[in-house]
Amino acid sequence: MNRQNDLLQGTLDMLILKSVSLQPMHGYGILLRIQQLSNERLLIQQGSLYPALYRLEHRGLIASEWGESENNRKAKYYRLTAAGRRQLKKEMENWKRLTAGIDGVLDALPEEL
Amino acid sequence: MTFFSRLLSTLSGLFRRDRLEREMDAELRFHMSALIDDQIKQGIAPAEAKRRALAEFGAVQSFKEDCRQARGLALLDQLGQDLRYGLRMLRKNPTFALIAILTLAAGIGANTAIFSVVNSVLLRPLPYANPSRLYTLKSNQSLPDLEDIKDQCQSFDALGGITLQALDYTGGAEPVQIQAGLVNADFFNAVGVAAAIGRTISEHDDRYGAEPVVVLSDAFWRRFLNAAPSAIGKSIPLSGNSYTIVGVMPVEFSTPIFGKFVGVWASVKVVNPVAAKFRGVHFLRTCLRLRQGISVAQARSEFEGIDDWLAGHYPENNNGRRSVLIPLRELAVKDTRPALIVLFGAVTLVLLIACSNFANLLLARSAARGREMIVRASLGAGRARLIRQMLTETMILSMVAGGLGLAIAKLGISSFLAAKPDSLVLPGEVGIDGRVLGFTLAMSFVTGVVFGLMPAFQAAGFSITQRPQIGGATMTAGGRAIRARQALMIAEVALALVLLIGAGLLIRGLSLLSSVDPGLDTKNLLTMRIELPETRYKEIPKQTQFREQLLDGLNSLGGVHAAMVSELPLSGAWLDHAFVIEGRPPLPAGSEPDIQTRTVSANYFDTMGIRLLRGRDFGAEDRADHPPVGLINASLAREYFPGSDPIGARISWARGPRNWMTIIGVVADVKHFGLDAPEQPAFYNLYDQLDEPWKRWMYLTVRGEAPASTLLTEIKQQVWRLDGQIPLSEVSTMDEVIASSKAARQFNMLLMSTFAFVAVSLAAIGIFGVVSYSVTQRSNEFGVRLALGAKPGHLVATVVKQGLAIALTGAAIGTAAAAALTRLMSGLLFGVSPLDPITFAAVTLLLIAIALVASYIPARRAARTNPMSALRTE
Repeated sequence: MNRQNDLLQGTLDMLILKSVSLQPMHGYGILLRIQQLSNERLLIQQGSLYPALYRLEHRGLIASEWGESENNRKAKYYRLTAAGRRQLKKEMENWKRLTAGIDGVLDALPEEL
Repeated sequence: MTFFSRLLSTLSGLFRRDRLEREMDAELRFHMSALIDDQIKQGIAPAEAKRRALAEFGAVQSFKEDCRQARGLALLDQLGQDLRYGLRMLRKNPTFALIAILTLAAGIGANTAIFSVVNSVLLRPLPYANPSRLYTLKSNQSLPDLEDIKDQCQSFDALGGITLQALDYTGGAEPVQIQAGLVNADFFNAVGVAAAIGRTISEHDDRYGAEPVVVLSDAFWRRFLNAAPSAIGKSIPLSGNSYTIVGVMPVEFSTPIFGKFVGVWASVKVVNPVAAKFRGVHFLRTCLRLRQGISVAQARSEFEGIDDWLAGHYPENNNGRRSVLIPLRELAVKDTRPALIVLFGAVTLVLLIACSNFANLLLARSAARGREMIVRASLGAGRARLIRQMLTETMILSMVAGGLGLAIAKLGISSFLAAKPDSLVLPGEVGIDGRVLGFTLAMSFVTGVVFGLMPAFQAAGFSITQRPQIGGATMTAGGRAIRARQALMIAEVALALVLLIGAGLLIRGLSLLSSVDPGLDTKNLLTMRIELPETRYKEIPKQTQFREQLLDGLNSLGGVHAAMVSELPLSGAWLDHAFVIEGRPPLPAGSEPDIQTRTVSANYFDTMGIRLLRGRDFGAEDRADHPPVGLINASLAREYFPGSDPIGARISWARGPRNWMTIIGVVADVKHFGLDAPEQPAFYNLYDQLDEPWKRWMYLTVRGEAPASTLLTEIKQQVWRLDGQIPLSEVSTMDEVIASSKAARQFNMLLMSTFAFVAVSLAAIGIFGVVSYSVTQRSNEFGVRLALGAKPGHLVATVVKQGLAIALTGAAIGTAAAAALTRLMSGLLFGVSPLDPITFAAVTLLLIAIALVASYIPARRAARTNPMSALRTE
């Protein structure tokens, strides 16, 4: 349960944006989706998820509306806004640049130095 | 997302707060039940599933708080918390809160009151249409001159002229005198204010021989006509003529330069055609509306040409007269500005003192709350959060003080208006408008922030590593805070001293003024003004008959001496004539000197107690059919007959045919223009020998054996027995006349003394506070010293010395500051130098004495410390 501490600052936002970019989802669904897509390697705490969702909504990157869940319960569904889509694209590019850079450093062979 | 839409989201979040809270709860409930459902699906027992879900969720409240913060509500929430906490803290210590609020409210209130006067007189545009284009000429004009200017001048849309003249209104129970603004038709065009009902004076009304019409002031309309709208078209009797009412001005209308009055406006050509036709009677104030697109410089250069033209065509009246064009406001505020600026400066010092007292209180309190701060810091409150908390508390105090200050200001304004001398003409309403409100709000805000930050930083300066200790002396705020408080006190004493010296100079000036000999005997002397209406007293014989009968009637009463003078000393009235002396080389027309001319009854000097210096007084032989004679005052003798005997010399007015009058005597000067102004050369002639039928006014001066006011009924009877339609105006004793000539100075002195009193009280409270605080802090030390055999008197001296050190340092700085600042008020002083050593010394000693008392009271407590109880607290 402590693994979310390993998440880099800001990556949770990106993961949430990515999750809701596929289809509108409620908070619990987002949580499950991230766990499932990461093969249970990333566990998100409710205590981090909901503040992140409210923050993203406050920034206008996602929007919400009430709907019916699979079990016919009232649930709040989040979807990506246009601004959210732009933000996600930017963050993914940044992330790829960052990991590529880090990979470059980590994969370096002794003779290259 | 822009800043604004985020702000909008925050704000709408604030308003939809309850709904959002409910939605958040619903969402979390859904999450919880979905989680439980899933676990049950995996085969876990429902009860266990619920327990696990709750455990997994953790501290719901704390992350709800995180959610709120994410939504941008945290700051506002914390502000609410701080406010609630602050209010609770203030309620816990109401004495502190009360003193802090009252101190600051006194400063803010006084400042707001004076600022609202400054605002009305100096800042707010004059209450006329497009006021920035209104100008006036520094000197008065005659109507023929003004009309010539209008014909030749292209720079102005309207050239208004106005003078004030008293008229008798005889439509009421008793005849009363009212003011009439005599205007030309352009006057209302220039001012650009329309009548509230009906119309103003038109071109058609402003002709010689036109049907007499008047526009009423709102006050006249209310007082005499019950504010009946049907008054329009009716007629009212004024000084024996009937005038048709054509309009009523709005209640807020204030005549430029003259202010508000109970009265009417009428055409100068209709009311006073004689003076209106006279080019030499420069009696009109001007009100000129500059044409759009014309600059002042253009208008001024145009005036140069017109001045030359007037001087060329009418040298007798216009030689050497130059037209100086100035903004209308400048003339309206010319006498008020210096005093207002000094008063505003003074009241700012009061505010500074109030602020430093406020800061002082806060410092003392934050020192006392040191332990609370340490506890809160060790419980995890951030430094910024602590500062914010302290600041919030201070802001509560300063805002409440601001509100209370507004109430004090309202009170202050009404007493200001009640006490204000008539000579202080306010161009508009004095009141609390948007600008004043903004000023007060800004003042409260700035004092709250600036003076709240100091103790806030001090309070937050405690480090968490300091263990919360339960103890007395170990918890003192330390030397730094004490020194800050002492510095504040020194500043306070210095500021208070500046104010006190300012007030002292005004008081001393006023007492010098009161000891000035007016040159006449005021005992039991009653004065009043009478003006004979032209309709019934056009000819001199009728006027003479009225005067003789009135004086005979009054003087036949036992113990009564009655006389007359055309211009009463110190009443503000004066009249001058250009004159020539027989046998002297002739001067070019228009450059003859002006002298004051006063017409009197034969017994005037005797009645008034004005001393005869040389020659003889008027006598029975000086009658209408005898050669005209007159007396001169000492100033005229000094200036025009230096080293020669004026008795027997003859003078004549420079205008009109020569009519030589022989000087028969010289009388002492009186303080005609004010106790603070020099007398001018003056010539006294006799009513009985008067050849000017327009001089139909007189001041009656009546001396009785008892206090003069008891005579009034008798005098009224005598006057109304002769003519029941003549009002008595300006009824007052000579002492009152003199007092009102000092009213403006007295008013300045009163305000300044009030401010100084507030300042000194605040400073005394401040010193008392600082010294008692240090006595409390040092009670252990004193206990030990007493136990070791120290004499109580010695301890008292130690403590008093501390207060004295503050007072002496403050006094030194204050004296230096006052020496630099009092120069600014030299225009308000009479007879004293702005650096008057007596005032400086006396006031400084007074302040030091007050400081001594303020520190002696807490010092006595030091001596009474019980050694045992002091030691036990250690």
